[in-house]
Formats: sequence, structure tokens, C-alpha cells
Amino acid sequence: MTQPIDTSIYTAVTDAIRTEAARILSDGTVTAVAGYAAARRKGSSQPIVVSDAGNADKLIFTAACVNNLAVYLTKAKKDIPKSGRIGVVVKGCDLRALVGLMGESQLKRDDLYLIGVPCAGVLGSTIQPATELNTDTIAPKCLECVERLPVGCDFVPAVTPPPAPELEKKYASEIARLEAMTPAERWAYWKEQFSKCIKCYACRQVCPFCFCEQCLCDRNRPQMVETTPRPAGNMAWHIVRAMHLAGRCAGCAECERACPMDIPLNLLNRKMAKELKELFDYESGFEVLECGPLATFTEKDDQSFIK
Amino acid sequence: MQKYLSQENFSTLLEKLIASGKRVVAPKLNAGTVLYEPLKNPAEIVIDRMPRRSGKEAFFPICEEIISYGKEGQKVTVTDIDPARFPETVLVGVRPCDAAAIPMLDAVFSWDYRDEFFLERRKKTTVVGMACTEADDACFCTAVGLSPGDPKGGDILLTQVEGGGYLCRAQSEKGEALVAAHAALFSEPDGHKSLPLAEPQTEKIDLQKVKKWLDTNFEHPDWDSIATRCVGCGACAFVCPACHCFDIVDEGTEKSGTRRKNWDACGFWKFTHHASGHNPRDLQPKRYRNRIMHKFKYYDDKFGQRLCTGCGRCIRLCPAGIDIAAIVEDISKK
Repeated sequence: MTQPIDTSIYTAVTDAIRTEAARILSDGTVTAVAGYAAARRKGSSQPIVVSDAGNADKLIFTAACVNNLAVYLTKAKKDIPKSGRIGVVVKGCDLRALVGLMGESQLKRDDLYLIGVPCAGVLGSTIQPATELNTDTIAPKCLECVERLPVGCDFVPAVTPPPAPELEKKYASEIARLEAMTPAERWAYWKEQFSKCIKCYACRQVCPFCFCEQCLCDRNRPQMVETTPRPAGNMAWHIVRAMHLAGRCAGCAECERACPMDIPLNLLNRKMAKELKELFDYESGFEVLECGPLATFTEKDDQSFIK
Repeated sequence: MQKYLSQENFSTLLEKLIASGKRVVAPKLNAGTVLYEPLKNPAEIVIDRMPRRSGKEAFFPICEEIISYGKEGQKVTVTDIDPARFPETVLVGVRPCDAAAIPMLDAVFSWDYRDEFFLERRKKTTVVGMACTEADDACFCTAVGLSPGDPKGGDILLTQVEGGGYLCRAQSEKGEALVAAHAALFSEPDGHKSLPLAEPQTEKIDLQKVKKWLDTNFEHPDWDSIATRCVGCGACAFVCPACHCFDIVDEGTEKSGTRRKNWDACGFWKFTHHASGHNPRDLQPKRYRNRIMHKFKYYDDKFGQRLCTGCGRCIRLCPAGIDIAAIVEDISKK
């Protein structure tokens, strides 16, 4: 049965973000703050970069503040001014992505001022942003979240997030369902899903870890992957994406939310994360690792695949 | 000429069209998503949910083959696609915002070059529109001069009536021919009252003022604040009923291959990337500016109308929450 989710803490979170942003902008700690602002449609929000303390009151936090703002700090998005230290509003899942980027030498901790959000969950889809946050509309990632309070930020509003609702973990159960299929059935499932892919690359463009300045899937001399939205090229693209994110994906699920064709892309990432946990006891977290699990070798690594 | 078509006869009509060998394309569920796809049976049609992509792909597919080639020894063969093989099509349940985009595409694809792939499919397609009874706050057809009952671009317009069934208005020779060929299914419209049409909650935008501002503000600091949040994907262009850019690629091996025409999008970095390495639209705001300029200035300069029907798909689906209706309205007030 659908139950509403208590998001009353977001009023206090919004106030705290505004006060802190105004403070760090006026005392010169940062040159800009990346956060969320209300947009035209009822309940909607969109990313905003505030560089004037007088505009700090535009910042909000609501269940529609879904974007992972880490993407705006990456090399692939050179448009955001990088002069000086930047403040950024982060949920726990967004912070894990930033930590991953630091581990990959894409960002320096000292260049960031992290404003952590005590999180009660966000919407899975913002197609209708006025939707109430409830047990049906909450993003599936939030049901598996164990980090509602980001750790290691420069500022976190003194608000305690409510405990996560005890609900079926949708990714875990969907992965179990797919694992129970025969390879032919799984192939048929993904073939049908990828038949909807239009190669708009929203999944790539919102991914903080897709920071290559030129994606190999855009190359045509030689052509590495068919660029055409046809079954072979679509399948190849999504496999390339999943493999490149293995051991790196922070689970923000932005790929899945951004997909205009509703392809459950995060299932691939969660499956890879599961393998990484089993093989290397690795999970994306809040601690910067200089070498990710697939960028290092230890004698304890599983070698059973060498026959 | 207005006629009544009962719900039952609507299904019978679809069944007869499918049985006659025509490709009947209509909104239907595909792996959980409503898309315009060929129907196998009338029960598949979904009329109460807006399809995720527009109806343009009935004429302008996401990907199509334009020639194929083969090489054996020194012998090279190039095979053209014969547009005569494109099937007779009836596109059913088209939203007025999707139908209104069809004449916009007609203008482009028959302008300086006649695109036989588009035009042959277009010639062979009868467009059966369906007036909207529901709108959400992303819908803005009324803001750009259309309406939920607008017949533009269709051969027939269906309007749902109280108690089920449709009022059917044929508005072209193709539409009249379709009704005449199945005359027994239609009856007089007497006494049937149409359901109230949707009322999008947006105010009319002064598009002349928008164009005037665009005419003189190619360089303006506001483009940065408008478009900085754009992440550079192609979602907006690909779900748009009026966007029509495409790319041509050769794919295959030395021995055989295919030349394909694919949808393209001005939001992509590589869209204007020159072979020299130079990119005149090197930053995202310049790319997003092109989207607005093309829709509300360049297309208007050439064809005297705007390239936006207010369907709202790009607003609902933009990963970065960019709202073209709000942007254009702001420009109209500058």
C-alpha cells in the first residue's frame, strides 16, 4: 500500500543551505555554489550556479532535487567557471561520485566546499515534478541507501533524516529475477529494452564518471562502436558503458532517471557493483581510494578464471 | 463533414485496416513505454497516455538505410533503396501537437532538396489525429498558437464523445477517402457531445517579440545563464516532433556495408565538430542557443512559422530540468 514519505526536514535543510551559501559567498570562501533552484512547473527544480550572496535565497532542497551536480564539475563540462573554490550541494549518493572523482584525480578536495544534505529520499522520475514523495514514487536507489547523512562534508545542516522506509529493495529483487533467467531469456529481456534506445546519450551526459573529452563511441576513424541506433550498436554501447563503470559507478542512478525511454540502466550498474562486492569486497563509499578495485592487483584477488 | 464512430466501430476500422495489409501505426506499449509503433491488433492502442516520442518517426525513422554496397574482387555494387517498397500507412491517435509538426517537416524535406525517403512515406500515410482531453503543466500548445483540438497537419481529426466513441471530421482528400472506404462504420453525429478538451495552463507567448529579440541578440550574456545547466545530450531533439536534423554514416566492412541516415541533435558536441578539429560551437551555451534560434528565428526566417508545437516533451524529459516554455516566455518579456 502506498504510504507518504515524510520530507518535512527539507524546509530546515533549505534554510540551512541558503544561510551557509550566503555566508561562504560573502566571506570569499567560495566563488560560486552549485545547487538547486525552483523552476516554472509546480514542484520542479533545476540545477543553478549562484555566485552572488544576494541570490543564495534562490537555493532550495526538495524531493525533486534529483540531479547529481558532480557532473557539472567534471572535465567534460568545461562550461562551469573553475576559478577558485566551488561550493556544491550534495546528497550522499552524489558525494560518493565526487569521492570517486577525487580518487581518479579529476577533482581536488581542497577545491570544493561540500554542503551535505540530510536526505529523506528523492523522486525516481521528475516527468511530473509535483508528484508527492511516497513509497511508490521514491527513487529505487533511496530504498537501498545506507547513507542518508553524508560524511566528510564541510557543512551539513543539523537535521536528522528519518529512517528509510522498510520496503522491498527493487534493484536487488529485479537482479535476482534476471539472474534466475536462462541466458536466452536475459538476452531477450535486454534486447527488448535496448530496442527503445535512441542514442541520445543522456545516460552518458549525466554520468559524473563519463568524463572523457571524446567518448570512443563518438569516434569514426576507426569506428569502435556502431553509432547508429540499431540493435547491434545499442547493445554494444550499453555493454561498453556498464563495463567502463564497473568499480567506479557510485550508484546515483542518474543514467536511469535521465533515460527518456525508461530503460532500467541502473540494473546493469548494480549488477556490476554486486560482482565487485563479491570478487573484491569493494563498495563505493565516502573514503577516497587512490586505486580503484579494477586499477590494482593484490595476491588475494580471485584468479579462478585462469584455467 | 462530421460523422460519429462508435468505440466498437473504431476497433473494427483498425482491424480492417490491419487486415488490408496497411501498416497501422499508433501509440502502444513497448517494453513499458508508450511509443508510436505498428499495431498487430486494435486492442494494443493506448489513447490516454502521450507517447514518449513523437509521430515523426512514421516518415523520418530514427535510423534508415539509404544505400548498400558490396565488393567482390574488383567488382563494386551499389544498391539503391526503392522507396516504392514503403508500405501504405495509417498513423492513428496522433496528438494535435504531433500532427501540427508534420507540415513543418514537409516544408524542410521539400525545400532545396526533395528528400524522397521522407516524401514517399508522407505521400503514403493518412494521419488520423486525436484531440486532447488532458494536459499537464508541461503542455504549452496554446502558448505557441495551437490548441488541443487543432486539426492542423491531420487528414482526419477524432474527438472523444461522452459515453464512448468519437466525432470524426475528415479534412483532406486522403481523410475523406478513408471514411468513404469504410462508410458503413460511420453514422450521423446527431446527439453526440464531445468531451471537454484539455486546457493547458500557459499564457500565449508573443512570438513576434521573441523573434525580434533573437534577431539582434545572437551574442548576449543571458545565453550562458539560460544554458549552462544543459548537459549536452540529444533527448530534447529526439523526442521533439519538429526537430529534423540527421547524420549520414557508412557502416560495414570493406566487403559490404550500408549507408545509414540517423537522427542527430544540435546539443551534441560533435554536431558542429569540423574535420579540422575546430568547433564553432565549442561550449554548451552556444549549442543550446542554436536550439532556440532554429526554432524561433531561423525556421521562421525561411518558412514563416515556428518550429515548436508546444508538446512539452523536452520539458518533461530534459535531464537538467530545462524548460523551453519558460525560456521563450522570458525572452518575450525582455
